[in-house]
Amino acid sequence: MNLFRRGAVADRPLSCHQVGKILQSFLDAELDEITTDKVAEHLEDCRRCGMAADVYLEIKASLGRDAPAVPEESLPRLEEFARRLTAGEEGET
Amino acid sequence: MLPELDVLLRVAMSLTRNSADAEDLVQDTLVRAYGAVERFDGRYPRAWLLTIMRNAQVNRVRRRRPELLRDPEAGDRILESQTPHDSAEQDALRDAFDAAVEDALEALPDKFKRVVRLVDLDGLSYQEAADVLGVPIGTVMSRLHRARHRIRDRLDDADLLTRRAR
Repeated sequence: MNLFRRGAVADRPLSCHQVGKILQSFLDAELDEITTDKVAEHLEDCRRCGMAADVYLEIKASLGRDAPAVPEESLPRLEEFARRLTAGEEGET
Repeated sequence: MLPELDVLLRVAMSLTRNSADAEDLVQDTLVRAYGAVERFDGRYPRAWLLTIMRNAQVNRVRRRRPELLRDPEAGDRILESQTPHDSAEQDALRDAFDAAVEDALEALPDKFKRVVRLVDLDGLSYQEAADVLGVPIGTVMSRLHRARHRIRDRLDDADLLTRRAR
């Protein structure tokens, strides 16, 4: 996602309002490189936005810890299932 | 399609909240993908597989609830209405912040919760989450951002952000 056209606007620092609108996309690595750099620059300089970003990062990290465990024992069975399927040995389930 | 198995299984866990159902769902997805591989253009295999998984999950729930077969709009409601039950992961101690975040997540409407799970717990991109849910990417962004704001507000109300930004 690139929110800035080439030219003067792209060279200006971002305002807190602009950063607030794209902060979540920044935290999810959904922005293009140029916009990412500009947001990161703002977060370095602006204590308020930087702290807000830290809070969301902590929430995101906490949510990640809440992820249900992937049943590791299922993976080899699924790999075998996929192998048999592509070999034509597995029919409709 | 083997490289995507771990991703498929993780997303299936989010959709079913049960390891046996998740494995069945991945198998169902693989069978469907294999049957449709001739129509696959070779681009974005993960997105293609996730879309197949979404359709497979909708059909699986419909089979268990045949009254929904005649309802063309039932798919979205199926995906939004399944209530997860706790997994047995809670043997580790959580600190107050993690517990509060979890409470805040559970308090969200199902459609918000589902997006948060796919992006924050399963690590999907916005587009991949949109593929799984069958909604536009803008809807994913809007639901996700509103969900996080609500979680943050709830933590703020509980005074858990005292030393952090408000």
